[in-house]
Amino acid sequence: MKLARFSALLLLLAGGWLAGLPGPARAGESELRFPPPEFESDYVMPPGITTPPPRGVVREYADLAVLLGALGLATWLVHRRRSRRGLAALSVFSLVYFGFFRHGCVCPIGAPQNVAYGLFTPEYTLPLTVLLFFLAPLVVALFAGRAFCAAVCPHGALQDLVLLRPVKVPLWVEQGLAPLPYLFLGGGVLLAATGVGFLICRWDPFVPLFRMSGSFLMLSVGGVFVVASMFIGRPFCRFLCPYGALLRLAALVSRWRVRITPTTCTQCRLCEHSCPFGAIREPLALPVSPATLAPERRRLGWLLVALPVLVALGAWVGTRVAVPAARLHPNVALLERYLASATANPAQAPAGMSASNAAPAAAPGVAHPTGPGAGPTPESRALVRAELETPRLAAQAAELRRRLTAAGGWFGGWVGLVLGLRLVTLSVRTARTDFEPDRGACLACGRCYLSCPNERLRLGLITPEEAARLTAAPPPAAARAGS
Amino acid sequence: MSTPQVNARLPAAAAPPPEVERAVLRALQIAAVLCAVVVVVLVAVHELTRHDDPLKSPQLAALKARLLAEPQNEALKEQIRALDLQLRRRHAWVLAVYRDGAWILAGAAVALVLLGKLWGRWHAELPRPRPRPDAAERYVRATQRARRLAAAVGALALAALGWLSLSARSPVPADPAALEKWLARLQGGAAGETPADLPDPAEYAANWPRFLGPTGNPRVTTLALALKFDLATGAGLRWKTPLAAPGFNSPLIWSNRVFLSGGDASVRRVFAFDLATGRLAWERAVTNVPGSPALPPEVPESTGFAASTMATDGRRVYALFANGDLAAFTLEGAPVWAKNLGAPQNPYGHATSLVTWRDRLLVQYDQAEPEKNLSRLYALEGATGRVLWQKPRPVGASWATPVVFEAAGKTQIGTLGGDFVIAYHVADGAELWRARLLSGEITPSPHFATGRFLGISPGDRLFALRPDGAGDVTKTHLVWESDESVPDITSPVSDDAHVYTVLSHGVVACHDLQTGKLVWEHELGFEVNASPALVGERLYVFGTKGAMAVLEVGPAARELARLDLGEGVFASPALAQGVMVVRTVKTLFCVGPDTAPALEAKRP
Repeated sequence: MKLARFSALLLLLAGGWLAGLPGPARAGESELRFPPPEFESDYVMPPGITTPPPRGVVREYADLAVLLGALGLATWLVHRRRSRRGLAALSVFSLVYFGFFRHGCVCPIGAPQNVAYGLFTPEYTLPLTVLLFFLAPLVVALFAGRAFCAAVCPHGALQDLVLLRPVKVPLWVEQGLAPLPYLFLGGGVLLAATGVGFLICRWDPFVPLFRMSGSFLMLSVGGVFVVASMFIGRPFCRFLCPYGALLRLAALVSRWRVRITPTTCTQCRLCEHSCPFGAIREPLALPVSPATLAPERRRLGWLLVALPVLVALGAWVGTRVAVPAARLHPNVALLERYLASATANPAQAPAGMSASNAAPAAAPGVAHPTGPGAGPTPESRALVRAELETPRLAAQAAELRRRLTAAGGWFGGWVGLVLGLRLVTLSVRTARTDFEPDRGACLACGRCYLSCPNERLRLGLITPEEAARLTAAPPPAAARAGS
Repeated sequence: MSTPQVNARLPAAAAPPPEVERAVLRALQIAAVLCAVVVVVLVAVHELTRHDDPLKSPQLAALKARLLAEPQNEALKEQIRALDLQLRRRHAWVLAVYRDGAWILAGAAVALVLLGKLWGRWHAELPRPRPRPDAAERYVRATQRARRLAAAVGALALAALGWLSLSARSPVPADPAALEKWLARLQGGAAGETPADLPDPAEYAANWPRFLGPTGNPRVTTLALALKFDLATGAGLRWKTPLAAPGFNSPLIWSNRVFLSGGDASVRRVFAFDLATGRLAWERAVTNVPGSPALPPEVPESTGFAASTMATDGRRVYALFANGDLAAFTLEGAPVWAKNLGAPQNPYGHATSLVTWRDRLLVQYDQAEPEKNLSRLYALEGATGRVLWQKPRPVGASWATPVVFEAAGKTQIGTLGGDFVIAYHVADGAELWRARLLSGEITPSPHFATGRFLGISPGDRLFALRPDGAGDVTKTHLVWESDESVPDITSPVSDDAHVYTVLSHGVVACHDLQTGKLVWEHELGFEVNASPALVGERLYVFGTKGAMAVLEVGPAARELARLDLGEGVFASPALAQGVMVVRTVKTLFCVGPDTAPALEAKRP
């Protein structure tokens, strides 16, 4: 499918969807659920005392339509228009709409958890909109690379827009830390599939900023990420984003890829440092000397042999994390807290009874007051609930542990696999003749386009003579490899 | 790789006038400082106010506790209002600081970014590629370091997982086999007290430890009570004493004590009286129970907050109130534990009474509609209140009290509720059998007599079941049923040959215990809500308006006495230690064979 048609298709889908949506959902309007009583006095019930309107399903479909439209537009801006300015404007829109207006939910970053939860929990029906939120950017990545990251994801948009003075992260650091997003993805899927919780959402650093509300810890973490984003290009996207790990894999096989030059690469190296995210790779020739090849082949061989060992080791370790992982579930944490307090203080004064109440009645008929500070708290109420429901909570904890033992093995194996494959890929050379973005790492931000003289020539910003002066048109790198 | 020929630079952005540049730099600095200041202020406000929760203020809690003891202290009320307002104002101020600070920070951050980008554009460094012939060597070095870093990340991840798994400690057993045993023990519950700590069955049977007596069948055989007495003057009574709190629960007798409870929406209390003199031995308020609803539920006055009769296991007394508060005291009045089972959703208010078995307290907590699945049968450890097991019940709200009995080699808990008669094993709550025989509002309580489980479906049928079945025994274990003269409120009482019931409009009926056939009926002519008691061959029936009748029963009925107490009776009498204790709406009195002059026990 041609790129233009692909982008147009996405836009049409979005437009058609939006046009087909009903008007403001009547079901979404607030209403008085029960008629107010007839007051005999002159009391007038204040207006607006209604139950909040439910979030209409039509809004979720509207969000999906906007997502499809934005993906289509981003694809066109990245590959056809090649406009950094357009991508920046779309980033602003995405940040405002998906971030501050929709408060970052539903978002594709957390959607893998919903999918995992839906696959392993029969009682949960995965909403169609959530499934499409999960699939749409991945499908687009299979064709057009990380167009979602380019200007549609609000997390990436925020980090991208605040970038001021990027500091180059050494390539070895970037490649060495590459397993982290996969580990985060694995952990999130593990906990979601077993019903413990949605880890990725709980530890999302930007959603509290979008909502301007959250725990002190998460707001602080979000602030740190924003400050870091001013100097390190998109730190969350590059080193943590679990959905980015999936997009990276899809982009590796994408049909269309980002090219810095619109025509041929003249090896002028003007784009070398234009990417603030370290995604541009320089030309690299394959070694021919046996002295170089032999040890690399031996290392690769050992790593391939070690790969299944790493997977097995990880799986074995993973089966043993059921106890701490189960504690992330609020009911299990409550049960353990209750049992710990009951074990530590078996003879403590029972809740609800003060010392004065324990004394014989000096004046029968008079209720004894409770001591200072007495009174139920959310903590004590939770413990009372735990006490009443101990068998049910214990059975739930046992079931969670059983699921986590099996799933932990898979997660541990995943950790071993990710680590092993990373070591293997770092031992395999990829030949390149041109300066080109790494398919998986390129976030399609469009900053590299204008650094290429051929691009400037295409846009009419410079004359052919100026373009020729900028580059000396050296012979192709492949021809020079044997010299 | 050859060095590219770079003969010209790419055109740079136009340089701004110096004064504009200085202004932008100054604005940039101001924005940065403003961001920093706002962040510091927000963090400082958070740190200083993190413990100032108006809901958790110890100062306010202390004042409220004082108010309980001094409910008429207007100055204290004003002090509480003032402090509450001050705390709320402060909390609202903190929220406003957060809100305004967030917007200021957002604005300053946007200005910082925009100005920073402008500054960056003016001072952008143009690309100056330098000769770098060592691409391959740099690649080898980079990948080597990357492999080491990736290996370190992986090792760290595996080490962290390993450390988590080794260091995590949980009171819940990790080993699956141990967990199963622990769960089974939790559900079955090891008895916290040894048999030697608890009263023996003979002592239990000699007292009146629960609603309708130790077996749920309100019958004593070896007692001769006075037939005539006057509540107003006290003639013929051992004692009488006024009651300080309202309640429809029936009194208990254990050893030398009479126990009952009373209360309303504002306060609920447990009382203990001396059996010999009627003097108040102690009373305890049940307040500040964890989980107790802040607003008590709406309960009809016809039920009240103290409709459930207490229970005792001979070591502790237990009381349950209509807001879900459940409390335990020693026989001397020392509090042991208290908890809240959740305010029951009951249209008439909770009235099912408590039952004990050995060291356990059994609570039938039926509520709402069956489909809401809120009804439960709880077994709690009497010494600690710990829930040993709980079973959901497929029934809605009901008001009958369960009965514990031995049959078919098991100790069973027989319950009535909704459409079902259900029996559970007392050890772990496992359902033994059920029969679909009920309809309507289940109020009369069952009992077990001469090998038969006797129950009533109000206004519908009186029935007897063989309690030795399993599963659904509706069609297989019904011995007999009768639809004649079936009461709707009071519970039946039986001797060795007959079952006696009293209908609300004042008709006493007698059925054959073996066949269910109606033997006779006797009109009393007054309304009855209290279950009758059988003392030897005498049936004592108390009316809602104060009338009382004593019948000699058996194959035929003969009225022996009829009195007017002057005060309505809704509670059933307690019979033990040679006396009968009766609770009217205002008075507690004791009848015995001793006809010494009555003494009114004045409240100290």
